Amino acid sequence: MGKQLIISIGREFGSGGHEIAELLAQEFDLPLYDKGLIKHVAEKKEVDSKSLERYDEKPRFRLSSRRVRGFSNSPEEHIAQMQFDFIRNLAEEGKSFIIVGRCAETVLKGNKALTSIFVLADMDEKVKRVAGRMEMSPEVAEAYIVRNNIKRKLYHNNHAQGKWGDSRNYDLSINSSRLGIEKTADFLASYIRERMARDGE
Amino acid sequence: MLAQVLAVIIFLLMFLMIVMDKIERHIVTLISGISVLLFVFGIGMHSWAAIWRTLNIQSLFHLPFWYSAGAEEASSGINWATILFIAGMMVMVEGMGRVGFFRWLCLRIAKLVHYRTIPIFITFMIISGILSMFIDSITVIMFLAAVTVELARLLKFNPIPVILSEIFCANLGGSATMCGDPPNIIIGTSLGFTFSDFVKNTGVNALIALIFSILYFYFCFRKKLRASGDSGSDDFQYPDPRDAITDKTGFLIHCVIFACAVVLLVTHAQTGLTVAAIGVFIAAVTLLVSGKNALKLLKKVDYKTLVFFIGLFVVVSGLEETGILEMVASLIGSLCGDNFMLMIGIILWISAFASAFIDNIPFAATMIPIIRSLAETQGAGSLAILAWTLSVGADIGGSATPIGASANVVGTSVAAKEGYPVGWGYYCKYLAPATVLVILISMIFLFVRYV
Repeated sequence: MGKQLIISIGREFGSGGHEIAELLAQEFDLPLYDKGLIKHVAEKKEVDSKSLERYDEKPRFRLSSRRVRGFSNSPEEHIAQMQFDFIRNLAEEGKSFIIVGRCAETVLKGNKALTSIFVLADMDEKVKRVAGRMEMSPEVAEAYIVRNNIKRKLYHNNHAQGKWGDSRNYDLSINSSRLGIEKTADFLASYIRERMARDGE
Repeated sequence: MLAQVLAVIIFLLMFLMIVMDKIERHIVTLISGISVLLFVFGIGMHSWAAIWRTLNIQSLFHLPFWYSAGAEEASSGINWATILFIAGMMVMVEGMGRVGFFRWLCLRIAKLVHYRTIPIFITFMIISGILSMFIDSITVIMFLAAVTVELARLLKFNPIPVILSEIFCANLGGSATMCGDPPNIIIGTSLGFTFSDFVKNTGVNALIALIFSILYFYFCFRKKLRASGDSGSDDFQYPDPRDAITDKTGFLIHCVIFACAVVLLVTHAQTGLTVAAIGVFIAAVTLLVSGKNALKLLKKVDYKTLVFFIGLFVVVSGLEETGILEMVASLIGSLCGDNFMLMIGIILWISAFASAFIDNIPFAATMIPIIRSLAETQGAGSLAILAWTLSVGADIGGSATPIGASANVVGTSVAAKEGYPVGWGYYCKYLAPATVLVILISMIFLFVRYV
């Protein structure tokens, strides 16, 4: 793996994937790119990030979009593409970072510095986490989780050939309910260290 | 009966697939076209004659296809005149783009108005309308929107209102002439109308509508543009229009070719040269003067669109040959009775509404045989009026939504790529009322002038 280290984390909504990404960022002292990535894209384009945020990680709705000679009217598609270009550039510049979501495992596929992870969790754990964080009843939280996961799946499958959450697309798929967030992060850190050591040999 | 059912099923499936946008639309129409030839004409009708009429290859070898003393002859089946003309114009436009003509023109206008936001906004609307009268709106908007974003960054104004207004005026300008928008070229070549026929009818309507549209957009966006456009700083270098020109000699040559194309189109009723002949001639001259770049130009031609047209014409012929379109026409006819005004209203609003959501090219191609049948029951002169109604409805209706016309998709795409995404809400808030307003104006125009 050499000096560069890129970790991509795909995650189910409420699985704790983002918290795991934060712990790994601390562990390896890496910058973390998540929904804040849009701010970097906006800065680069010299535009207000607020106008881009509402289209972040959203799927393109087929009936309301159309393509003409390679042009598409879908803002969601353009925002996604800008983010893909951004992380692709970072990787090409040799930078190390952690990226949450945004089809990074597909966008950076083939990059030797990449470790791709997908975090899932049992529904009751996800409901507990989301209900607590967003002050929702368990029923509302479950519906909210299902809705968000459908959106993530549509967004991912719109841009990537492999299916969202399909273990064949990631180096590791892990259920965070088995070990809990911190232990899962520790386990992943040791896996990454092991890979770094092997690639350094 | 079997042939009719098959023709309708193939047509509906084709439309559904185009709307779903899962498979590229030229592949959809091509497969649909082949299906019509095999299943509708072959299995359903056992008619070689229908296949032959639809392929319409024989028309290419008739003198009137290239040169006709009066109006162009009406045709059915694959409309080769449309295909050749559009291909020819594509080659010419690629040549003009290569030498920097469009960027030069936009920057030249910006310089003429001293790089002031509101004058840029108004002049870009006008130039969008004028250019779209002769050049396809996709190319016009592609260049105008790109320069608009460039100037917006420099002059610190929001480019979205300007781009939306340009899109609307491009669609409006396209309705003014026979070659402005694909539905018009199909209407013109299918029903035998000339360039000047369009200018005298849809052109007058477009001019009136353009004046109202400029006022509408000015009052909608003036505050937004003034608020964001007053940077008060001059610490930057304005782009020099001359820098846009990549090849000075080529630039002059392509300007002359464009001028020739305009003159040939305007005078084609007098010279007898058909639009197919003009398209082929302009393409040949462009390729000749492009030298070693000729191959590059040919490679840039959008063959997918040409294939899309061919497949589409075959599918519509399936409906025509099996009598489906005649049935639709008699349905509309019985609905309207002797009320020609109602017929105009129905065709105008249905065309506008349909074009707001689906591609106006297949819609217009399907409607042509219908209005031809309707006109037979309404007496002399009614065909032309229905043709102008269809043209205005299909061309202008497309402005209402971001997916209604190609220019809308290209304009919003250029803006989004530069970090200015345009959602359905914002787009429709301004352009849907503008479309309704212009369709209303057009309806009044059609009633006052023709009924």
